[in-house]
Amino acid sequence: MNQHWPVASLDPIRRLRVMAAAIPGTDLTELIIDAPPELVWQTASNLRAEMPRLVRDFRSVTISQCDEERLVMHARGYLGQRARFDVVIRPGWCWMQSRFLLCGMAAAPDPSGTRFGFLGGIRMPGVTLLHPLLHLIGPAAVRLDRLQADVRRDPDLQ
Amino acid sequence: MNLIDAAEDTATAGRLADLVRAAQAGDTMAMAELLDVLTPYVSRLCGPIALDDGADAAQEALIKILTGIGQLREPAALFGWARAITIREAVRMARKARRAAPAELEDVPAPGDPQLASDVRDLLRRLAPHHRAILVLRDLEGLDEQTVSDMLAVSTGTAKSRLHRARRRFRQEWDR
Repeated sequence: MNQHWPVASLDPIRRLRVMAAAIPGTDLTELIIDAPPELVWQTASNLRAEMPRLVRDFRSVTISQCDEERLVMHARGYLGQRARFDVVIRPGWCWMQSRFLLCGMAAAPDPSGTRFGFLGGIRMPGVTLLHPLLHLIGPAAVRLDRLQADVRRDPDLQ
Repeated sequence: MNLIDAAEDTATAGRLADLVRAAQAGDTMAMAELLDVLTPYVSRLCGPIALDDGADAAQEALIKILTGIGQLREPAALFGWARAITIREAVRMARKARRAAPAELEDVPAPGDPQLASDVRDLLRRLAPHHRAILVLRDLEGLDEQTVSDMLAVSTGTAKSRLHRARRRFRQEWDR
């Protein structure tokens, strides 16, 4: 009968909340997008196109494939700074880590469409001291409204 | 095969130890992978104890596990350590929910519905959170009395009588 015991379900948004709560120096922003999760993820997971649209400091991004779920992403900033990110990506979930930066994305079904989460963070000693500031800076560093607009432009939604 | 065996099939002990050490050193890729490994296990423990609040309990338990990963001295003890945190969190969440909305037995449908899984959920709902916890640890996890009593911070006698009462209540409700 054990197979009939109830199992809790932890969607990717909840997993992103776990990461945000467990890692100092991160800030999580969530929004509801009026579109199915598959379409939202189709847009968001196009890292090369979407990351420079969403993250204010990224001018361009290049991707090199490693295996099915693991990628390497090279980001370039407006002042010429570079960052190499290790990336794990699968439907509804993406986690990216460079030497000094963290990004995470998650999408899960919501009664109004899709709940999308974006996590940004800094990896450096003493980052907890900056934590109160990150809550102010975090939402300004990403432009999730652009994701919403890009999803609406998707021909599959027309 | 119990849940620990199943989980360890997907991540060998050596790989798991490497992941734990990397996560302790601040590697968030390792933390994300640990989350992949632990989530199914934590979700299975939280479901029968916290029921409708199972997802909240699993989320809180995983936060405590990842936040406290630096305190885990022996990586091989990961699942046992995570289990203790999870049970504590699931019972806490279930008690909180029970205080907020006590279960009315008359409101709970009798067993006999076509879906056995929903029957089990309804039966568990009629038990106190600490009775659900001991059923999970003894009957789902297959742990011995000593381990269970240590984990729940009660004497083996208390654990034994609690299990007896939980099983009797479960059977009574099943036969109603």
